[in-house]
Amino acid sequence: MLKKHPLIGYSLFGFVLFLISNRVDELRVFQGASVAIYVIAIASIILLTGYSGQVSLGHGALLAIGGYAAALSRNHWGVPVWLAFCIAVLAAALGGYLLGLAAARLSGPYLAGTTLALAIGLPSIANQFSIFGGEQGLLFDIGKPPASFGESLTQYKWFFWIASLAALISIYWLRNVMNSRYGRSWKSVRSNDVAAELAGINIGRNKVLAFTISAGIAGLAGALLAMSISTVSPGAFPLTLSFSLATGAVLSGVTTLGGVMIGAVTLVAIPEIVGSAVSRFESSDAVANNLPGLLVSALLILTVLFVPNGPVEQLRARREKRAKS
Amino acid sequence: MIQFFNMLLIGIGAGSIYALMAIAMVLVWRSTRVVNFAQAGMALLSTYIGFELVQKTGNFWIALPLAMILGAVFSSLVEILLIRTLIKHSTSGPVAGIVPIIATLGLLGFIRAIIGFIWGNQDVQIKAPLSQIGFRVGSQTIALSPMNLFVLLTVFGMVIVLGFIFQRTNLGLSLRASAYAPEIAQLAGVRVGAIRTVGWAIAGAAGAAAGLLQTVNGTGALSPDSLEFSLLLTFGFIAAVIGGLESLPGAVLGALVLGLVLAIVQIYISGTLVFIVAFALLLLVLLVRPQGFIGVKAGRRA
Amino acid sequence: MIRIKRQKLALTSAMLAVAALTVSSLPAQAASDPGVTASSIKLGITLPMTGIASPGYNKIPGAMKAYFDYVNDNGGVNGRKITLVVKDDQYIPSTAVAKANELILKDKVFALAGTLGTASTKAISASTQLAARGIPSLFVNTGFSGFADPKAYPTTFSILPSYVMEAKIMGKFLKEKYADKKLALIYQDDDFGRDALAGFKQAGITFGTYIPYASGSQSLPATGAGWISKLKASGAEVTVLFGVSSASTAALANAYAAQYKTQWVLGSVGGDATTIAATNKAYVPLLYGAKGFSFAPAPTDTTDEYIKLFQSIYATAQPTQTFDNNVVAGMSNAFLAVQALKAAGSDLTRAGLIKAIESKGSTFANPFLTPLGYSATSHVGGTGYWIGTYDPTGALKPDGGKYTVYTTDSGNGPVVESSYKRPAMPAKGLPN
Repeated sequence: MLKKHPLIGYSLFGFVLFLISNRVDELRVFQGASVAIYVIAIASIILLTGYSGQVSLGHGALLAIGGYAAALSRNHWGVPVWLAFCIAVLAAALGGYLLGLAAARLSGPYLAGTTLALAIGLPSIANQFSIFGGEQGLLFDIGKPPASFGESLTQYKWFFWIASLAALISIYWLRNVMNSRYGRSWKSVRSNDVAAELAGINIGRNKVLAFTISAGIAGLAGALLAMSISTVSPGAFPLTLSFSLATGAVLSGVTTLGGVMIGAVTLVAIPEIVGSAVSRFESSDAVANNLPGLLVSALLILTVLFVPNGPVEQLRARREKRAKS
Repeated sequence: MIQFFNMLLIGIGAGSIYALMAIAMVLVWRSTRVVNFAQAGMALLSTYIGFELVQKTGNFWIALPLAMILGAVFSSLVEILLIRTLIKHSTSGPVAGIVPIIATLGLLGFIRAIIGFIWGNQDVQIKAPLSQIGFRVGSQTIALSPMNLFVLLTVFGMVIVLGFIFQRTNLGLSLRASAYAPEIAQLAGVRVGAIRTVGWAIAGAAGAAAGLLQTVNGTGALSPDSLEFSLLLTFGFIAAVIGGLESLPGAVLGALVLGLVLAIVQIYISGTLVFIVAFALLLLVLLVRPQGFIGVKAGRRA
Repeated sequence: MIRIKRQKLALTSAMLAVAALTVSSLPAQAASDPGVTASSIKLGITLPMTGIASPGYNKIPGAMKAYFDYVNDNGGVNGRKITLVVKDDQYIPSTAVAKANELILKDKVFALAGTLGTASTKAISASTQLAARGIPSLFVNTGFSGFADPKAYPTTFSILPSYVMEAKIMGKFLKEKYADKKLALIYQDDDFGRDALAGFKQAGITFGTYIPYASGSQSLPATGAGWISKLKASGAEVTVLFGVSSASTAALANAYAAQYKTQWVLGSVGGDATTIAATNKAYVPLLYGAKGFSFAPAPTDTTDEYIKLFQSIYATAQPTQTFDNNVVAGMSNAFLAVQALKAAGSDLTRAGLIKAIESKGSTFANPFLTPLGYSATSHVGGTGYWIGTYDPTGALKPDGGKYTVYTTDSGNGPVVESSYKRPAMPAKGLPN
């Protein structure tokens, strides 16, 4: 039954999340919302890099566009929250479209470097125009959870539901896109662009489309991120965010959506686990400050060395090898 | 008039700093086709080693070559342990593009943490070996000091020496061949793996020089979170791209252009536009002449 | 076929992930406020300990702990020992929120202390709903004037005078002292610098040359040199610098290289001589004659009883670290926190703490030379600055030989010379 109707699988999963959110404490609920947001953001990178083969090291900038668009539209026009999110998606998609036009002619390190420079330049742009609220940023308040759900619906639970719903919808939609002819054409361009062109695929348009969709999804993640911290500021989308997303994508397995939760959970869980493990020991300042960073980096290097395609692909490759032998 | 002349000197001086990093990036790119974020991290570590050497020997001129040698050693180790394993395990395609970048990012974080462990997170200082006071021309002090001059000379020296190695020696030929066509090079008898390590070693030495020189040319302050190093990485990359990622003289030219443009913007327009202009310049070059000023139009897509 | 497998895998991995996240117990219903027991009080701080914004600031928790340990060794606060949980947020607002959530929900701290950074503090306040939960945010480390408004931030208390205040006081000083001189201003192009512009405008000061710089660019090779080049061309006689430490260092270093002389006026944020000295001793003599602004006694002023005490406490607790403005800031913050906790009484509750600061805060003993402005209608801490000149050793000495403090507000109020006399330090430096 699940085979024919993946929608049922997703709905089931969503229901399970709903049940769990009522049993778990606030911190976990908030972290769950963060995981959902990362899931969306990482999926956007998987689409762009894994399927379309374009490396972006500045995805944080696209998240920022989404976050600012949502905050501005809500603060200045008072739009309802769902509309603010839609505006975020469209604004980021537009940004992605423009970036894609420029990027279609670039490849490899040139593209990576350009996106990197964008991520670095964006806070500067935000500081230039006072409408963006400068360093302290803008408030983004999605309002209290609806009273009809009662007292037990705390703000973080509300965030979690919204983020999870958005994540489920996005992933479901992305899966369909990637299994459609667009997805197949991206894959063929990725494996052999000359052959793909011969087969009649317009590579430039192809790449721009991937960028646009990826950016729109990233914009949604950015708006949700702004929701979760109730503010949007240039500092909320630093270079390290772009790097974390790329890292999460690699940890998940950048060529497939299947492992996207792994990367998201790792990004949220590892800093906390490492942080509490370190604080157990009475240690000098130098150790306490740097040990978390050290462990996280070491973990990253080891994972990338030994499981570079991500656990999902690795498992599949092993299964295929076993099937062949 | 004086201000214009000073602006030129400032721009060239800044460009020479970017050039140091750009050279290291181009070296790694030409040897291994990997964009190495850990360049900045390894340069940082080498600079700290240089700091220790200056402390121990009291002499910068001994510390500099020693740090460069140690930087080369460390860089080769990274290549052998990290990069080779990566290349062995990964498939081709986009994974091959992004995975090394993530791995070197992880290495950058690792190095930063180690530095914080050993030397702490506060500033340490390296005293400049040469005077930083500008030369006097007539009654004016110009924006060029003995230290600045030394950096400029070093940059040009590196370009000449490295250019010679790459273009005129067998080692250079092997380096270029191993990067462009490893299988064919192997067939021709080149030990591709060893050559790649040599390429990284050279880049490590260049990075060490870059780190040390830019520190003493500036305020002499060093910390694991030095803003300078993170920015240098990006600006060095932008410089390399402007000049053409494939060419050393191009990297230097690109760096000088970048330095001059930014100096003009900062002095005559507004200091708030620095990052935006750098990004715009990068975008402009990529759109109009993606192979850079000096680069040859390549048929292949990296 | 593959689709099912993938789906199954996705579902399974998701389940596993969720299960991993679920590993934690349900919160117990506490009768009293969390973070307080009969023998202990838990405070939490999140600030940049590593990362770009961390140099200098990462000394604050060590300094705070040094003072807290001193207090603990001397009986604690009403018999309770203070512990400080430290989290590193790398100056990123979303990380700050995550860490604040850990502090509040997992570590269950009694109150937040010393949060750093305007954007981070704003994000924490809004997202974790400090106001609704009644969680005090003590003495935040930012100069943003908005946090002093109890209507917007009912549980948050400022400690630093705002940037607008500093600019107003500086403006008055410039008007009086350098009325006929050519003025230039170097400032950071974000809220920090813009607050300063607003303050200067209020003071009625205009500069002959404005030199803004993009935040972060001050460390680039050409930037400092460009400033000096512009200053030279403009013939500025007095140069005001409203920027961070790295900007001051860049300015001084390049002035030295260009042999450019001007009367420097340094804002409090970037004017810490000890930090500048730690960067490069050669620049310290360059400070000689520069004007500096501060609201606490200078860290080099060993005649001040608070500085003497703090120095001795810090020397035992952190013998390898230098004693600078960051340490003074941290220890003063801790001192004030202890004073507030004591004032809240033995029956310690969050609401009680907030009330105590609002009602008695303005009379708290504290190391600052400006009066504190805490009341039910304002959560503002320091309200003024004194002006000093750097001597050849880099020590900031007050003009006129004694600390003359000027106070103002963050609005349209005038700048007045304050008659505030700092009350004597309580015995052994333990608040009562």
